[in-house]
Amino acid sequence: MSVPNEDNMSPHMQLSSHFLGDLLDSIIVDVASECHRIARLGLDRNLEEEEEELRLSAQARVTVADPSNSGETNGKYVVDIFGQTHPCVANEVFDCMNCGRPIVAGRFAPHLEKCMGKGRKARAKATRSSTAAQNRYSRGSLVSAYSPYSTSTSTNRLLNGTYSHTVEEYSNGTCEGP
Amino acid sequence: METRSSVFANPKPCKHLADYKLRHGLSGYKFLQKCLKTFPNGKTSIKMCETTMPKCSFCSGIRQGRLFLCLICSSMSCSDHTLLHSQSENGHDIAVDIERSELYCCSCRDQVYDLDFDKVVVAKNIVDMPSKTRDSVVDGLMRRSSKRRRLNSVVDLDLIRSKFFVWMRGRRAKSCYPLGLRGLNNLGSTCFMNSILQALLHAPPFRNYFLSERHDRETCRKRSSDQSCLACDIGVIFSAVYSGDRTPYSPAQFLYSWWQHSANLASYEQQDAHEFFISVLDGIHEREGKGRNSNKDNGDCQCIAHRVFSGMLRSDLTCTTCGFTSTTYDPCVDISLNMDTSSFCSVDVANKSVRPNEDTGRSTLLACLDLFTRPERLGSDQKLYCQNCQEKRDSLKQMSIKRLPLVLSLHIKRFEHSSLRRTSRKIDWHLQFPFSLDMTPYLSPSIVRNRFGNRIFGFESDEADISAEFEIFAVVTHSGMLDSGHYVTYLRLQNQWYKCDDAWITEVDERIVRASQCYMIFYVQRMLYYKANEDLSCTPMPSRRDPFVPIAGCC
Repeated sequence: MSVPNEDNMSPHMQLSSHFLGDLLDSIIVDVASECHRIARLGLDRNLEEEEEELRLSAQARVTVADPSNSGETNGKYVVDIFGQTHPCVANEVFDCMNCGRPIVAGRFAPHLEKCMGKGRKARAKATRSSTAAQNRYSRGSLVSAYSPYSTSTSTNRLLNGTYSHTVEEYSNGTCEGP
Repeated sequence: METRSSVFANPKPCKHLADYKLRHGLSGYKFLQKCLKTFPNGKTSIKMCETTMPKCSFCSGIRQGRLFLCLICSSMSCSDHTLLHSQSENGHDIAVDIERSELYCCSCRDQVYDLDFDKVVVAKNIVDMPSKTRDSVVDGLMRRSSKRRRLNSVVDLDLIRSKFFVWMRGRRAKSCYPLGLRGLNNLGSTCFMNSILQALLHAPPFRNYFLSERHDRETCRKRSSDQSCLACDIGVIFSAVYSGDRTPYSPAQFLYSWWQHSANLASYEQQDAHEFFISVLDGIHEREGKGRNSNKDNGDCQCIAHRVFSGMLRSDLTCTTCGFTSTTYDPCVDISLNMDTSSFCSVDVANKSVRPNEDTGRSTLLACLDLFTRPERLGSDQKLYCQNCQEKRDSLKQMSIKRLPLVLSLHIKRFEHSSLRRTSRKIDWHLQFPFSLDMTPYLSPSIVRNRFGNRIFGFESDEADISAEFEIFAVVTHSGMLDSGHYVTYLRLQNQWYKCDDAWITEVDERIVRASQCYMIFYVQRMLYYKANEDLSCTPMPSRRDPFVPIAGCC
């Protein structure tokens, strides 16, 4: 914003300009005085540390964005630090604690939802598992015990999902390929 | 890095100020006391005469700017002429800025500070405040509310830690990697659960509690007659994950129990990790809190979930007309932060290597915390009833942290609602977050003090039984869209970062973590972090060949 030449201004404009200048000066001195006190009393944050963190963060983003730096493998075909590889769908098998049937781990959630009855207020199965002794997952009879719990609104959620396939009905709980 | 105490650095006075104090003591301050005028916004000014405007005695105020009142002879000078005054009158060096009540040394041409002067200003502010506000301000400046109770909690958790040591000695890591690193199988869109579980499994005080078997599963089962107990199930997961077995674990029983607890969230679909986190803590509280403590909701609960995660937030509502402030305290297990969309990164601006992009803005965690504690002017459609004014007035709302938890959980609200288009979208901006975090500026004493011009009050409690310095140990990141995406957790164990992507545990460089899109960030008090690192270091086993040769690496 260019400052108009004082000679060209009308006395009215000169006065306005003068007042604006005074107001701006006053605001600037207020901020300077406040910051001076904060700095002198040692209340300000450690600015060098903050700037170092910002620099590291910016540097990190540059490094990660560079395609030649893809040491980070994103695929599921990666070997973990213990030297193990795992299939996309977890293939451990265990018994469902609700109905007792053997279920593949990666399909457990969709099975359980059906097994407990979707919304599971009505059709909760009361099953006393006979394999309680052997299988550490079984817990005996199921009693619906839920507490009223206020959730955030549905729009305030970041949802997850690893598989793009839709839920499919599994008649006997065995695994089917995606 | 120097530790920042909560006390002010008391600056050394310049020789003119020291000289003035010697000669005149507090007489000048006492005289000024009568002329101080306080405002509801915390500002204090000096008004000498009710009827005339103050003017510079040298130039009569043609272009005067700030005015300074000499403490000895009460003559007024503008900023251009203060030096003239101190030169013409020997010893008249100290003046006060009448607009802000700040001491000024005319010879040094600099603002100076004196504890005794601040005390006078503060006393006037307190006298002028409505009495309820006075209590709330004094309470706000106090650092601790119940020192004994907090100390007991910390001592208690330390005892748990020593039990944990005993447990640890019986264990041997099967590789060089820290105990407790184990993948979690995805049971069908359950990465939201796995990501939070990984963070909980490595929250030091939480971990110590469960690994020391403080939650007695036997007693619990007898007492509850087969009702599901989330704490029991978490205990099972802890034992499994810290057993030394490295094959991925399936938290199926936990999922089952959790669905029984949270009926409304029980379905095979994509879920929000933060909601899950709150739900789990609530579930643990329900079972543990009962029968132990009747004060379930006042933040004094002794269940492990609250002892580790619960802090206290303070909310101040100030009437802008009279300054009357009403204060409420609310316990919280986490803090949800809005992203500060207006901040810019001065380093990035200078550093041209980061390409600016309209779609990707950036922000920092400290900016979000600033936004959280910034005074918010409530709209004129939200006028609140002021007890002092006896009518509805415009108000200011300000949040601050009254008490910090042992583990600080920060949730970044990455959604934006457009009421115009009636849609929500995810904010993919990068959020810079520090690995070491000092929460002092966001505590109630700092916030309340700032409201009154950062005066040296002199009656706050200085020592804090709980430090405000934290170290990061887990980051839950989200990638993808609002309704479909993937959660991954990064854990920091002994200064090495690990990526926990469901069943896959890999080592990553810290730069990957810095560049990731954080959704929930977990910090633990610095002391607990260092202690936890000690616990986890595995002891090298001597080789049979030569017991005296130190082994690089371990096990």
